[in-house]
Amino acid sequence: MCVGISMDGVSENKMVPSDFSTGPMEKAAKPLPFKDPNFVHSGHGGAVAGKKNRTWKNLKQILASERALPWQLNDPNYFSIDAPPSFKPAKKYSDVSGLLANYTDPQSKLRFSTIEEFSYIRRLPSDVVTGYLALRKATSIVP
Amino acid sequence: MAAATAAGLATNVFPFRDARAAPDPVLEAGPVAHGSLPVPLVLDNGSFQARAGWACPGPDPGPEPRLQFRAVCARGRGGARGGAGPQVGNALGSLEPLRWMLRSPFDRNVPVNLELQELLLDYSFQHLGVSSQGCVDHPIVLTEAVCTPLYSRQMMSELLFECYGIPKVAYGIDSLFSFYHNNPKNMISSGLIISSGYQCTHILPILEGRLDARNCKRINLGGSQAAGYLQRLLQLKYPGHLAAITLSRMEEILHEHSYIAEDYVEELQKWRCPDYYENNVHKMQLPFSSKLLGSTLTSEEKQERRQQQLRRLQELNARRREEKLQLDQERLDRLLYVQELLEDGQMDQFHKALIELNMDSPEELQSYIQKLSAAVEQAKQKILQAEVSLEVDVVDSKPETPDLEQLEPSLEDVENINDFEPLFSEETPEVEKPVATVQPVFNLAAYHQLFVGTERIRAPEIIFQPSLIGEEQAGIAETLQYILDRYPKDVQELLVQNVLLTGGNMMYPGMKVRIEKELLEMRPFQSSFQVQLAANPVLDAWYGARDWALDHLDNEDVWITRKDYEEKGGGYLREHCASNVYVPIRLPKQASRSAEAQASGKGSGASGGGAGEQA
Repeated sequence: MCVGISMDGVSENKMVPSDFSTGPMEKAAKPLPFKDPNFVHSGHGGAVAGKKNRTWKNLKQILASERALPWQLNDPNYFSIDAPPSFKPAKKYSDVSGLLANYTDPQSKLRFSTIEEFSYIRRLPSDVVTGYLALRKATSIVP
Repeated sequence: MAAATAAGLATNVFPFRDARAAPDPVLEAGPVAHGSLPVPLVLDNGSFQARAGWACPGPDPGPEPRLQFRAVCARGRGGARGGAGPQVGNALGSLEPLRWMLRSPFDRNVPVNLELQELLLDYSFQHLGVSSQGCVDHPIVLTEAVCTPLYSRQMMSELLFECYGIPKVAYGIDSLFSFYHNNPKNMISSGLIISSGYQCTHILPILEGRLDARNCKRINLGGSQAAGYLQRLLQLKYPGHLAAITLSRMEEILHEHSYIAEDYVEELQKWRCPDYYENNVHKMQLPFSSKLLGSTLTSEEKQERRQQQLRRLQELNARRREEKLQLDQERLDRLLYVQELLEDGQMDQFHKALIELNMDSPEELQSYIQKLSAAVEQAKQKILQAEVSLEVDVVDSKPETPDLEQLEPSLEDVENINDFEPLFSEETPEVEKPVATVQPVFNLAAYHQLFVGTERIRAPEIIFQPSLIGEEQAGIAETLQYILDRYPKDVQELLVQNVLLTGGNMMYPGMKVRIEKELLEMRPFQSSFQVQLAANPVLDAWYGARDWALDHLDNEDVWITRKDYEEKGGGYLREHCASNVYVPIRLPKQASRSAEAQASGKGSGASGGGAGEQA
């Protein structure tokens, strides 16, 4: 039910200025920069006076409302196209150099492959350490 | 080793080009746009770049699309002064100063912000020289995402029909247009497209010339994720150059200095060897900036500062000593007074005073008095010496420090000064060094270089191993295998004979070889396959769309007309060889909530589903 209402709201917002073929409508307080007006603008997207300034839906919201539509089992749609998660175990690479990492530093959880890398890791400031972990999406969930 | 480095010092050093885009001229449409039939406009609406041009009929189709610009817009610098409105694409020049103000209509590969899309379309129409009054009087071929959400197509149709008043539109998938452009026989044959763009990578199986949409897969990684990854890697490696490591420079590194390793693990092993590293590292030269790492003071200024600190410390010490001296003096006086009481014979008062002072016997009092008077004497001496040393030049104060150090520990309860003293004695020997110390030999050029070594292969590798950046999705190889396994063996055989690589993110050197190797690993022993890289992975979609438009100008049932739009709603799509699959779910419009869901047997049966069932 909510899907319909939200769709209504947004589409209503855009449909209200109904006559589009009567020539160019100027944007608020800005003259049209074109020499010969070859197309018309309609004030959709929330700039129309009197309407609440609705922002555009982002992809997540669009997909959430699309899911609610009556799809059949085998219909292709945007979210059924997503690639499945990987079944193979991921290889571990050093955070610093990208080589194959056989070892992990227990203190900072960074991966490394050589002794020089280890001493480099131990001398890193904490923001760089967090940066490397965030790059791998391995940041710990702070309780 | 020194000779080798001296010889290799100047190799592999590359400057950043930092190219600026030139603003596009407003083109005259010319005779192209005026024919008997209105000439179609072909617009490849990509999240990285939009490409627009005319599909002119005639013997010579013409060269590249007239317009190619980044699909971004930003308000010009200086905020909303009301002067120039938002600038689009190439009119922005260099993107970096405006990086935080850039807005794109795309969210991943779907246009969601139609206002910005309108700006991009305005820009395209204006610069292509559309001159019709009141509406844009040309059919439009527009690319859309694979299985784009119905809502997005509805909004796009609305924008085109109601705002621009176009007569008819055809939506297609860019990779499919590219597929048909690369091999015109593909209109009726089967194959597999691996298309990697800016935001995502698609693997699309084609059966009998028609997209098998149920078995397509999309990996949400593309050029922008690779650029972001590379940027973070370099920023973490060179925290001093945070601001200089910009996304535009990252894109430059990806386009010109990166490659895909044929065997990733083996290539990494090669990079372990220092000689290989030396020969193959690309040192990106950043422009010189006068801000060095650490302090911005010169060495003289540092000396000045140190001397000031020393002086302050000394003054503080002197003040504390005086206070202590005063306190000790008072205490001494009191004790002497108590002793006098004893001598005078006032035993009761004496004993009371002793208890107050927390002492047991006159002898203890006596010894305490002695100790305290000695301490007072020493303090007085030290104050005298400190005053003397203050006058002496700081540089020569080193002989003083041993005396100070000897005297200090005798005072029991002076914790703070003791803390200062190590600092004091530590500071002075350093001050001893002459001011004009030789700075360590500083290779300024090397300081401003970014060493791009294994990052050359790490950044593009994320589409094969998304676990590098923590994504859970499978990479290209595994997804390819997953898709192939959904077909019977003979169809698999058919599909791998015709694999096309297209899209801007496929242009790394070594990509084709890598895909061939992955296929070799997953296909049965001694089976064959054929991989082809698109002739022009970036522009082939536009060329294909233009060819399609010219072929189908007369064909009425592939275009969505205004009448169709009004009758059947914005999500309506007419299928053709390069289009999505249409699922007839009606989106509600305006106040009427007519969300009819028609039987899907009609929709998917008439489309690719039929082709899939044939196999």
